[in-house]
Amino acid sequence: MNDWYLSNIVLVQSTFTTLLLALSVQIPMRMGVFSFAGIGAYGIGGYVAAMCMVHREWTTVPAIVAGTLAAGIATFLLGLVVQRLTGLYMGMATIAFTLIVAVLAVNGGEWTGGASGLFGALGDITTGLIIGCAVVVVVLLQFTEMGGLGRRIDTVREDPELANAMGINVARYRRLSFLASGLVGGLAGALVTLLRSTITPDLVNFHLVVLALTVIVVGGSGSWIGALIGSLIFVWLPTWLVFIGEWEEIVYGVIVALAAIFLPSGVLGVAKNLWHRFRTRDERARLKAGGGTPAGETGDAGGRGLVPSVEGEA
Amino acid sequence: MTTRAQSDARPADRGPGQVLMEIRDAAVHFGGVKAVDGISMTLEAGKIYGVLGPNGSGKSTLLGAVTRLTPLTRGEVVFDSVDYTRRPAHHVHRLGIARTFQTVRLLEDRTVRDNILLGQDTLARASRKELAGAAEDVMERLDIREYARMRPDELSYGMQRRVEFARAIVGKPKLLLLDEPTAGMNSAEREEVGALMRQLLDEGLTQFIVEHDVQMMVDTCDYLFAMNFGKLIAEGLPQDVVRHEAVQEAYLGKRGRKHA
Amino acid sequence: MQDLLNAATLGSIYLLFTLGMALAWGTIGILNFAHGATFMFSAFVAHVLSRETPLPFLAAVAISVVVGALMSVATQVLAFQQIIKRAKSQHHAELRILIGGIGVAAIPLAIAQRETKSSPFGINSDYTATVFEFAGLRLSSTALVILIAGLGIGIGLTVWLRRSRQGLALRALGVDAETSAGMGVNRQVMAIGTMAVAGALAGLAGALLTFHLSAIAPETGDQLIIKAFAIVVLGGLGSMAGAVIGSYVLAGTETLVLVAGHGTWVDAVSFGLIFLILLVRPQGLLGRKEVRRT
Repeated sequence: MNDWYLSNIVLVQSTFTTLLLALSVQIPMRMGVFSFAGIGAYGIGGYVAAMCMVHREWTTVPAIVAGTLAAGIATFLLGLVVQRLTGLYMGMATIAFTLIVAVLAVNGGEWTGGASGLFGALGDITTGLIIGCAVVVVVLLQFTEMGGLGRRIDTVREDPELANAMGINVARYRRLSFLASGLVGGLAGALVTLLRSTITPDLVNFHLVVLALTVIVVGGSGSWIGALIGSLIFVWLPTWLVFIGEWEEIVYGVIVALAAIFLPSGVLGVAKNLWHRFRTRDERARLKAGGGTPAGETGDAGGRGLVPSVEGEA
Repeated sequence: MTTRAQSDARPADRGPGQVLMEIRDAAVHFGGVKAVDGISMTLEAGKIYGVLGPNGSGKSTLLGAVTRLTPLTRGEVVFDSVDYTRRPAHHVHRLGIARTFQTVRLLEDRTVRDNILLGQDTLARASRKELAGAAEDVMERLDIREYARMRPDELSYGMQRRVEFARAIVGKPKLLLLDEPTAGMNSAEREEVGALMRQLLDEGLTQFIVEHDVQMMVDTCDYLFAMNFGKLIAEGLPQDVVRHEAVQEAYLGKRGRKHA
Repeated sequence: MQDLLNAATLGSIYLLFTLGMALAWGTIGILNFAHGATFMFSAFVAHVLSRETPLPFLAAVAISVVVGALMSVATQVLAFQQIIKRAKSQHHAELRILIGGIGVAAIPLAIAQRETKSSPFGINSDYTATVFEFAGLRLSSTALVILIAGLGIGIGLTVWLRRSRQGLALRALGVDAETSAGMGVNRQVMAIGTMAVAGALAGLAGALLTFHLSAIAPETGDQLIIKAFAIVVLGGLGSMAGAVIGSYVLAGTETLVLVAGHGTWVDAVSFGLIFLILLVRPQGLLGRKEVRRT
């Protein structure tokens, strides 16, 4: 076990950093905010952490904290500016933000190391630290997926007008999703940068956006579990299916296309559906049989309301 | 044709006659269209009010204005002595105003129980403690308890409507706004909705219903308003409003006959 | 002045590329992320075919055009139509089409990268560009073709959309798909036709750019997609004239920035444009007014 661990340590680390990166996009998406700013946050977090280390000789943890906070604040401010955009347009504006971060990095002169980036920012990053951070984030997210908060978030995503009518401050939830995505993305960026000790502008690019999106789409965008499933698949697929080797990219492309067509809620969505169908098999059988419910208090003779999914009579 | 239950016999919680809501000279203008053009209404606690009007009369817009989903171009809305004209939409719910929608708006991926619980999620913690079990009660009452774990798309239209109703009343609101609640229902279902409304009134829930179906309104409401072209054209007791000239014109055209 | 000419040529390339995307997006509402891959792969096929024997200019272009059309149609039929069939709502479908397009785009990219080992590739041809010199300006014949093709097709398409019956049908689809379908506009057929034209334009742009620069890289397509976004956003969704104007404005601005010595900020022009326009005037210069905002 130890041997396996040591020889696969990079993949293990990669799984969790990819998870954090994916979460930075999944969190706002779960609220119906189609924002890729988390990837830009990744870049900001990485650069700020590296700059703290290289220019100010900070140690690991303060640098990570600085990177995370800087990214969180920047992304939150971005959120304030773009919060009224919807769907595709929000997506484009946030992709533009991400790419602008890269351009700023190239033009940052000595601060950011210009086109060659920064190097020598070697942090004391253990796998334990990475996993620890991921676990903390996941635990916090789990709280947001349960109970009332989970319900409210789902409502904000599915039907913002309904959410307002139910007393939910939709605008505030959306703004906070930007903050959360910035913090998580920044954390991912800081960790990866200090792990590899370098960061360059071309690391913050469109392909990172595609990676995060792919992970979420295939795994399932409804929950952090989906992001984990997606991360596992994409980080470990080449290892499990060695013969894929050079066809890796093509296989990824095909998987994403197939998922977009057939699995809109990802692997997780399929699993949840199966679980639901299993749990409610009695109720559904009853409904199908078209009877058996005791008459309602108002003397209803049954039959009404028991015909499944009929469109309302006009 | 069912007659109204004898609701006047039992006074509502809030002291009948107390003014619950006031709409003062409300207007909603979109571009060049005056969807609501100077409407004033006073609603007392302990009654069921109805707004009658043909399509395009502005009644749904009025509902939107009252719930702050649509901004008011002019006028005020006051609830329980609180002027909430400038408050954001999400404050309306915690004032004690609940609503249902014209189309069924339930969360497709959530169970019936979760959908109903949503109706009291944003209420103050103390209230929620009191309300523990309220979801179960409400489901029991609307006869949907055994479908608590199902998802909306697995239920018939009528049942979905019941879930929506449950969600609206689970938080024990002071005022319930109903937007065409019987759309798509047959007459047996309509009667049920009417009966449920009278029962809720007995328990102290003031209601305000926007509807097309004249008969249902006459049977269920204590007081009717009639709208056309964004203005109030009549108000009063249902049987009087229905016979009013302007109302007949609006619904039946200039040569309308008397309503049966 | 030479810069102006270069900018115009660049703008024409942008235009040819963007027209395809803008056409599909603005009429049938399909934002095809694989458009860049189509652009690149069409030229790539011409490259592969030209390895053995050099291809004449026209043949190479023709091959590229046909491959482009085929690719886009295949994407439409095999991916996008399948998504549309299964989607719950317009909104859901859009996102899934976007993602599906991203997935599809990875495939030609990977193939091309493998074959060329990620280095630029050109089209082997006997054609060599003649360079015209006049009034101190230099213009290659390729650039001339690009300019004429860009402007010609750009203006032609704009006029066709406005004047012809099919154009009207397409624009109706763009404004309200369901009503148009109800009035007899055959969505599926028009969609396939539109995608074919879009793909053909991508192929045309691909071949021309490859000749113009002597080689393009497998990644060039993806880089162009973002610029196309910026152009459509600037010009306004649904407006071909907007795409024409936007293309030249972007190319002009980028050239200006380059010439002023800020070469590293060139890309920021398109990103910044996207950002700015969406916030300040979301419908762009000539677009339809209903860009959705909460």
